Amino acid sequence: MKDRILNTLDQLRRYALSKGYSVSIYFQEEDSSLMRFANSAISLNTNEHLIRLNITACDGRKRASYGMITDLSRVEDMQRGVETAAEMVKHSMPLTYESTIPVFREAFIDESGYDPSLAEMSNAEKLAFFNRVVADMESDEIKLSGVFSNGANTTAMVSTATPYPLYIKTSDAQVSIVLAHQTLKWEIQSEQSAQKKDELSADAMRQELSCLMSHYMHDTPQQLPLGVYDVVFGRAAIAEMLQFMSYIGIHGGLMKRGYSCLSKEDIGKKIFSEQFTLIDDPTRLETFPFRRDLSGMTRQPFTLVENGIFKGFIWMQDDADEFGEQPTGHTIPHLSLSMAGGSQAVGSLEDLFNQPRDHDLLYIPFLHYMNIVNPSKGILTSSSRFGAVLLKKDGQTIIPYNVRLTQSLLDIFGDKVDWLSAETSAYNLSTSYDARNPTAFIVPRFARVNGLEISHSNSSY
Amino acid sequence: MLDQIKQQISRVKALGASYVDTRWYPVEETNSLLMWNGNLKESSATFESGLGVRVLYHGAWGFSASSDTSDLAALYDRALDNARIASERLSLPVRLAEKDAIQAKFVSPNKINPFEVPLSEKVAFLSEMDKKLDQPGVTQRASSLTFIRKQIIFVDSEGSEIEKVITEVFAGLEVDGVDSEGGMYERKFSPFRRGDSRGWETIDLQHFSENAERIVRELNDTLNADPCPVDDRSVILLPGIMYLQTHETIGHALELDRILGYELAFAGGSFVTLDDFGKLRYGSEKLTARADATLPNTPGSFGFDDDGIPAQDNLLIDRGLLVGAISGRQMVEEANARARRQIFHGSSGANRATSFYRVPIERMTNINIDPGNDGTLEEIIRNTEKGIVLDGDRSWSIGSNREQFHFGTEAGWLVEDGRVTRAVKNATYKGATLPFWNSLTAVGDASTWEVYYVPNCGKGQPNQIMQLGHGVPVCRFDNVRIGE
Repeated sequence: MKDRILNTLDQLRRYALSKGYSVSIYFQEEDSSLMRFANSAISLNTNEHLIRLNITACDGRKRASYGMITDLSRVEDMQRGVETAAEMVKHSMPLTYESTIPVFREAFIDESGYDPSLAEMSNAEKLAFFNRVVADMESDEIKLSGVFSNGANTTAMVSTATPYPLYIKTSDAQVSIVLAHQTLKWEIQSEQSAQKKDELSADAMRQELSCLMSHYMHDTPQQLPLGVYDVVFGRAAIAEMLQFMSYIGIHGGLMKRGYSCLSKEDIGKKIFSEQFTLIDDPTRLETFPFRRDLSGMTRQPFTLVENGIFKGFIWMQDDADEFGEQPTGHTIPHLSLSMAGGSQAVGSLEDLFNQPRDHDLLYIPFLHYMNIVNPSKGILTSSSRFGAVLLKKDGQTIIPYNVRLTQSLLDIFGDKVDWLSAETSAYNLSTSYDARNPTAFIVPRFARVNGLEISHSNSSY
Repeated sequence: MLDQIKQQISRVKALGASYVDTRWYPVEETNSLLMWNGNLKESSATFESGLGVRVLYHGAWGFSASSDTSDLAALYDRALDNARIASERLSLPVRLAEKDAIQAKFVSPNKINPFEVPLSEKVAFLSEMDKKLDQPGVTQRASSLTFIRKQIIFVDSEGSEIEKVITEVFAGLEVDGVDSEGGMYERKFSPFRRGDSRGWETIDLQHFSENAERIVRELNDTLNADPCPVDDRSVILLPGIMYLQTHETIGHALELDRILGYELAFAGGSFVTLDDFGKLRYGSEKLTARADATLPNTPGSFGFDDDGIPAQDNLLIDRGLLVGAISGRQMVEEANARARRQIFHGSSGANRATSFYRVPIERMTNINIDPGNDGTLEEIIRNTEKGIVLDGDRSWSIGSNREQFHFGTEAGWLVEDGRVTRAVKNATYKGATLPFWNSLTAVGDASTWEVYYVPNCGKGQPNQIMQLGHGVPVCRFDNVRIGE
C-alpha cells in the first residue's frame, strides 16, 4: 500500500508540475474501528476506511486549498482536485506576507510507530479485553460503558518544490472503561493508550477500577463545602490542562494574537514551579509523533519549560511567516508533549490512598468540559468527574459529588505544585471530530497542587 | 447506484438482519473562507461522497462506511459482521419504534446557491467587512463565510426512500482587543434567522456593516469598563447567550440517549431520569420549551431525520413541567421498556448523523423557548431593580450530567433601579440547572425572539459536528451569582 500511495502522490505532483502549478498535497488514510459499550452492551460497532486528500495551491502570495474524500483508484478525480485548487488560487487574495511552501529535502519514510497487531485487532479480541477487565464487576445497578478505538493512520505529503515524499504510518488504540451506578449516578473510569499491542493491559485497568469501586460501593457520598483544597490531579486532568496550555500558553501565533497567558518577555524567566519541566518530544513513540513536520523540518526534542523557566514558544510555519519568526518544526497535526515526573514514589491509586498525609487531599482524576474563561490570564474552568475521592488526613475516604474549579494554569503549574509522581505514562487525548489524529501526552501519574479553590460543589452527581 | 443499494439491503436482510438502512451521499461539499487581519488565511473547498450502512442483527447494531463504492457487498458484509459480534454482548435487544414507509424529498430553502457565487464576490465581501472592522481598539479582526451542501439519499429495508438536499450558510464577524492590563476581550456577530431562505441572499452587506460597527463599539466599551463585580443579581440574557443556556441545559440534558446512559463514556449523562417525565418541575411556569424541526429556514429543520421520520414540533417543557425528550426510534422503545410505561409515543424525529461515515444519534433540532408576556427588552430592564444584561458566548463549561454550568459572556451591562448604568468586562455567571430555570421571572415577548444558528454542536464517539437552531426570547433569571 505504501508504494501505491507514494506512486499516486508522485503522479499528482508530476501532473501539477506539467501544468506549471505550485502545490503541496497532503494525504491521510485512516482505517478506524470503534467498539462502543453502553448499559453493559455493545451499543455501536463501527469501522470506517477513509482517504482524504488536501491540495494547497500557491501563486505568489495567494493560496487556496481543496480537500476531498477519495480512494486511490480515482486518480482522475484527484487531478481534477489539483485543477480546482489551482483555479481557486487565481481568485484568492494576496497575503500581506510571503508564505513558505513545504520543501522536503529528502524522502522521509517512518513506519516505526506502526504495529499491525494493534491496528488490526479483531472484534473478538476487543470484546474479550473488555470482558476480562470488568469480569464480575457488573450488576443490575452497575453498568459498563466505554470505547475501544483502534486503527491505523497514514500521513503522506509531497510538494512541487522537490521530488521527495514524507510518509508516516502509526497504529493507535484508546481504551476507556466506565462503570456507572444506575440510580446513584456515580461513575468511575480507567483509561489506557497504546501505540503497540503489548502496551495494553487488562489487568492494570481492572486493578484501577477495583480500587475505585471498593470506595464508591462503601463510602458515603458528600457535597463538599466550598473553599480551598489541596488537590491531587490524575493523569487525565494533567494532560487536559497541558492541552489547553498548548493553545493559550506556548503557541507563538496565538500569543501574537493576544490569546496567551505568556509573553515574549517571559522567555528565560521562572514562570512555573521548579518541578515543572515540559518538552515536546517526538522521539517518544507513545505520543504518535511526527519526526518531520509538514513543512519539511526535522523535529527534535524541544524544551518549552525547564525547571519552571519558560524557554520559548512554538512557531508553526505560517505563523512564523506572518510574524517574522523562525519556525520551530511545529507545523504538525498534534504535539508530543512530555511532562517530566517528580520525585514522589506514588505510581498507583493504592499508593496514593495509602500514603501517609498531613492534610486532607482531594483526588480529581478527570476534568470534564474544560473551557477558557480568560486566555490572557490562563484561567480555565472545569468540573471533576470519574472517580474523585476526598482523602482525609485521618485515613478515612469520602466520595465527593462533582465540584468545579476555575483556576489559572499559571497557578496550577506554578508555585502551588507540591509534588509530582516519579512515574509517567502516556495519556491519550485523541478526538475524532474530523480525520483520525492519534494524540497522547506523557504525564506524571499524579500531581499534587495545594491551595486551589472549589467554586461550585454539586448536591448530587 | 440506487438499485445496487436496494439489492444489497435485500441480500443482508436475507442473511438474517432484521433491519438495514443506507445513507448514500452522492455529494457533500463545503466552501470556507476566513479573513484575519486583512489576510485571506483560508480559502478552501471540500468534496466528499460515500455510503454509510447500518445493520440490525439479533437486536444489535453494526455500522460500516466507505468512500469506495466499488465493492458494495464487502461494505454491507462488514456492517453485518460488526452487528454479529455486537449481538454477543447485549442487555436489551434494540427495537425500533413503528414508522410509515415514506417516499419523499426535502430541499432546504435558498434562493441563490452559494456554490454558484464567484469566489471573487465572496472575497470582496470579506474584504469589505475587514475594512469595517479595522478600527481603533481592535487588535484582531476576523470575518468568515462557510457554505455546506449535502445530497443525502436514505433507503431502508422498510420501504422508505427519501432524498434530502440541504444547503447551509454560516457567516461571522469577530473583533478582539486588549485592555490596559493586558486582558484580551472579544465581541462576535453572526446573524439571526432573516427572511424565509438561507442562500447567498442572506449575506446582506448593509446588515453586516451595521453589526460590524456595533461590535467594534461594544468591544471598546468593554475594554474601558470596570471588571464585573462578584455579586448575586438578576441576569437578563439576550438571545446571543440565551441560545447557549438553552442548548446546554435543556437541549443536551433532554437528549434521550444521554438520559438512558448511552453517552456516559464521553459526553456524559443527564440529571433527568425516566421517572421525571410528567412530574419534574424543570422551570418556572414561564418556561415552555419545544423541539421544533418544522420551523422554516434553520439548520434544525431538515425534513426527515436519518431514521426516515418526518419533522415534528414537540413540547419538551410545558409551563415548567417536563413532558418530552429529543429522541429517535431506538431510544423511545428502550425508554418505554425500561420505565414499564408508555412515556413516549413514537420517535420525535431527531436521529441524525453528521456525514455518511458516522452513525445517526440523537441530535437537537430547533430547541426553542416560547416568547412570553413580559414585554420588550426595555420593559424587562425597567422592571429590574438590580441586574445585569448579558450577551455573547465567550466560554462555557457544564457538569457531566448537565446539573450545573459556568458561562462567560462577551458583553455585560449593569442594571440599577430599572435602567442600564454601565458596561462591565469579564462578565460571567454560573448556577445549578434546575434552581436556575426555576428562577425564571420574565420572558420577553415576540419582539425579543430570535432564531440563532449553531454550526458546530459536538457529540458522540466517533465525534460528530451538527448544525441546528435555537429560537429564544430575552429572559430574566433572579438571584444568580455573577463575576466568578
